[in-house]
Amino acid sequence: MSDDRFDAIIVGGGIAGTVTAYLLAKEGLEVMLVERGNYSGSKNVTGGRIYSHSLEKIIPDFAQEAPVERKITREKISLMTDDSNVTIDFSSTRLGQQGSDSYSVLRGAFDQWLAGKAEDAGVQMVTGIRVDNLIVREGKVCGIVAGEDEMEANITILADGVNSLLAQKLGYRGELSPHQVAVGVKEIIELPSEVIDDRFNCKDGEGTSWLFAGTPSAGKVGGGFIYTNKASISLGVVCTLCELIKANKTIPQMLEDFKSHPSIEPLLKGGKMIEYSGHLVPEGGLHMVPKIIGDGVLIVGDAAGFCINLGYAVRGMDFAVGSAECAARAVLKAKETKNYSAEFLQCYQSFLDDSFVMKDLKHYKNFPHFLEETPRIFDGYPGMAADMMTDLFVVTGNPPQSMTRMMMKHVKQIGLLNIAKDGWKGVRSL
Amino acid sequence: MNIISCFKVVPDEQDITIKPNRDISFEKAPMTISAYDLNCIEAGAQLAEAFEGNLIGVSIGAKKIDDSKLKKNVLSRGPESILMVADDFLEDLDTYQTANALKAAIQKVGEFDLILCGEGSADLYAQQVGAQLGQLLNVPVINSVNKIALMEGKVIVERSLEDEVETIEIPLPAVISVTSDINLPRIPSMKQILAAGKKSATILSALDVGIGDFGATLQVIETKAPEQKERKKDIIQGDSDEAIKSFITKINKVLK
Ligand SMILES: Cc1cc2nc3c(=O)[nH]c(=O)nc-3n(C[C@H](O)[C@H](O)[C@H](O)COP(=O)(O)OP(=O)(O)OC[C@H]3O[C@@H](n4cnc5c(N)ncnc54)[C@H](O)[C@@H]3O)c2cc1C
Repeated sequence: MSDDRFDAIIVGGGIAGTVTAYLLAKEGLEVMLVERGNYSGSKNVTGGRIYSHSLEKIIPDFAQEAPVERKITREKISLMTDDSNVTIDFSSTRLGQQGSDSYSVLRGAFDQWLAGKAEDAGVQMVTGIRVDNLIVREGKVCGIVAGEDEMEANITILADGVNSLLAQKLGYRGELSPHQVAVGVKEIIELPSEVIDDRFNCKDGEGTSWLFAGTPSAGKVGGGFIYTNKASISLGVVCTLCELIKANKTIPQMLEDFKSHPSIEPLLKGGKMIEYSGHLVPEGGLHMVPKIIGDGVLIVGDAAGFCINLGYAVRGMDFAVGSAECAARAVLKAKETKNYSAEFLQCYQSFLDDSFVMKDLKHYKNFPHFLEETPRIFDGYPGMAADMMTDLFVVTGNPPQSMTRMMMKHVKQIGLLNIAKDGWKGVRSL
Repeated sequence: MNIISCFKVVPDEQDITIKPNRDISFEKAPMTISAYDLNCIEAGAQLAEAFEGNLIGVSIGAKKIDDSKLKKNVLSRGPESILMVADDFLEDLDTYQTANALKAAIQKVGEFDLILCGEGSADLYAQQVGAQLGQLLNVPVINSVNKIALMEGKVIVERSLEDEVETIEIPLPAVISVTSDINLPRIPSMKQILAAGKKSATILSALDVGIGDFGATLQVIETKAPEQKERKKDIIQGDSDEAIKSFITKINKVLK
């Protein structure tokens, strides 16, 4: 390698970028990773939970070594109204089996650990530098431009996150549309770990994931989330951008209201907010995946739109890892034949197609649309559930009504047919 | 032309936290370059670049100063190499001990023309080390310098005093402490960061430079953060007229 040239340059030191860099350096390639934050994990945001399956394949037993927070063994989903909250609470030893387990993580620590792995594997880590542009000659990406400096590589991998300006500059995608992204805000609230164990009914080292539909996002497409960390709680609100315009509240106000909801406030009592962040979440699913292969360039992770929000589960990090693995395999193949043309790099697409990344994205391709087309999930059903529960549990001394009558009264408000239709559409989109 | 920039390694103040008992916790604070020494390194780098000199960064402290990120950070700012003396009893030194340890380290470097120090350290800011180091090395020493012109065998420096600017000519070798006004420390570029990865750092023990345990002259009994005022936590929700009125009434009451 001459001093001014690398085998691969990776832009972005999030999960997608560091895993790609790690895999390539491990195979002996000269790799540089450029991250604009002062360290990996300093600029990006996640809710909180990584499904381990994809990283487990790359770094077996990673959870033993990585700074993960808690293993998730309790899943809760709630329908929330202003004054009530109806929750399904699932705990099981079936959750948390190695290979299909999941962990709450804080990106500051987790991404730095991954970056350390990459550096140990030989990656040249350049942090605190923003890549401003790409060197493009006759349609071929030949490297990067950062400030006054240029650096060339056989292949450039864009892992620069949801709002990939570089992919946009290449003309691979347009501006993000408000339908494709949600805005997320999140606080990390510090509490002693024993207090978290008690309040969330968790065993030492184990934790809860908790998602909410209804008032957290002011009845709009989106929701609230809570993930328990070792000695803190990640809590936040996500709302689709196009809906936010219609909402009667701002996102920070939604978060404030969520925190002071009667069923949330006691869980946070005495806690101290230690971090506040906001970020975009790609939510368009398969429909928003841009052009991801070009001459001398591949796109991975959020930058490629590889993320799904199912309401009861958000998955982006495992896709970031999965796409990184496919990209690394494609680059290794390209290196063998010294062919970095878009045509040859189509193998990235085939690797993706054969992996869970594309299979899952295709499987859930209609789901984002379903959520958007079914506002009742966010502004109808939470109220219905709360009303039903009230009739069930509140004893007033008035003569009782038959259970069917009692329940049907609430069902009728939304309409039986509507419920059946939503249910059918929802199940089909899954 | 051999130039030495001395730098202290301190916990990053951004990540220092205060515990409920007002103790100060460094647990989450990574090691970083003491802010004033960024100017000292930059001054050295500018002189070295202008006169094709060789710049070495020198630091002494506990073992934890030998931190790969920190070293890369220093090296991306101009120095060709680093020499560190890292030993756990080189922590919590008084200024005279620090100057002595630096002298021992510098003697390992060998010949030098100019030694630069920052105006004080970001944690203690005693402003003593530069002056004492010059004395120990038996060379001229001058502080509060905000301009340096390097010439054959001498430097001409400017010091901004209260109501005048003093211009002094000093023969080399010498020790100079620079102010934080002397320059704007660089933000290392991509190539400078990459080049830093290829530069060398020498890490020595106290024994290697012939110093033993100085013995503590200072004992820190406690360091406490100032008492925080208890907040009333009186939160008025909403933007209704009543809420605003109640807010104004409360503010008025306090202001009276
Ligand atoms: C509120 C919220 C909740 C979420 N919850 C979950 C969850 O629970 N589980 C889950 O799996 N996923 C979740 N996600 C999604 C997940 O966080 C993302 O899918 C994941 O972070 C994508 O990783 P990435 O490496 O592709 O991008 P990022 O993590 O965004 O990393 C991109 C990196 O590129 C850097 N960068 C950008 N531009 C440049 C440039 N020009 N030059 C240099 N560097 C640059 C950035 O600083 C950043 O470090 C959530 C997202 C949000 C916002």
